[in-house]
Amino acid sequence: MADETVSFTGLTDEQAQELHEVYLKGFYLFSGVALVAHLLTFMWRPWFAGPEGFAALEAVSRTMIG
Amino acid sequence: MEKFYKIWLVFDPRRVFVAQGVFLFLLAAMIHFVLLSTDRYNWFEGNPVGGAGDSASLIDLGARLVTMV
Repeated sequence: MADETVSFTGLTDEQAQELHEVYLKGFYLFSGVALVAHLLTFMWRPWFAGPEGFAALEAVSRTMIG
Repeated sequence: MEKFYKIWLVFDPRRVFVAQGVFLFLLAAMIHFVLLSTDRYNWFEGNPVGGAGDSASLIDLGARLVTMV
């Protein structure tokens, strides 16, 4: 079916699968780096303030850092 | 999910990669500049947590001013 006929982009079904493997690897790598960066940033300064604002969170970090 | 590769039969991969690269770069640059413009997330100024511009400390400051008056 799609393996025999030329697709809209000129890729065969097999070529598209091969390309997609590489694409997904890049996607996972990018997402992984972004996830780690977000975790580190959230540990540094969280962006969900409690009902008391950031003050409650910062009192903890102040006593920890000194 | 296993049929997602068929997107490359419809959309030209080269165009998609260029467009996606440009889009992600501009989005990331924009978000970084927005964060740099804030006091809380500017990583160059080293603004201490709870420094000027922090909403919680502004409230504290306001409360202190009220008690002083």
